[in-house]
Amino acid sequence: MSKLIARIPVLAKSAVDSATPKLNTFMRYAKVELVPPTPAEVGGVAQGFNNIMKSAQTGAWKNIPVKDAWRNVLVTTEVLCWFFIGECIGKGTFVGYQV
Amino acid sequence: MATLGAPVRVSPLIKFGRWTALVTGILYGRSHFNSLKAKEAVIREEETKKQAIRDAQLAEEKLKNNKQEMIYLAGEAGVKVPPNF
Repeated sequence: MSKLIARIPVLAKSAVDSATPKLNTFMRYAKVELVPPTPAEVGGVAQGFNNIMKSAQTGAWKNIPVKDAWRNVLVTTEVLCWFFIGECIGKGTFVGYQV
Repeated sequence: MATLGAPVRVSPLIKFGRWTALVTGILYGRSHFNSLKAKEAVIREEETKKQAIRDAQLAEEKLKNNKQEMIYLAGEAGVKVPPNF
């Protein structure tokens, strides 16, 4: 039993060592892709929104390639799914409300 | 994962949309949970009251049925029923 307990710090260190490169890769992508928009990017938000509105008004949305349209659909679905992830965080459980 | 490629610069609108959706979801989840919890507390209170009444009724009926069954069994078994039963 004492040998098992003595092995725990060794196991923990080896787990951290094997996870660090993967964590580094994740952080490298997360710092660019997952950060919230900085105040400097607020203009970009309005611009993107105006682009969508203009394309909807002029009918340019009918002329984009199917590949781009499919990509837009997927991105929109992903953005909407974050709402449900937030709801799960807010209510505390994955399935159902534990009243 | 073989080659992941360079990190993509995500459009600000998408980033804004994702984070707004996340925060809205958290707030909505918490508020909906609280409202459901309040409603459930009211229902649970009413149920405990009704349960007490229901338990008393069931116990009374059980006693009555028990008595009638004993009288019937006495008749079948040929045992005389004592006068104060």
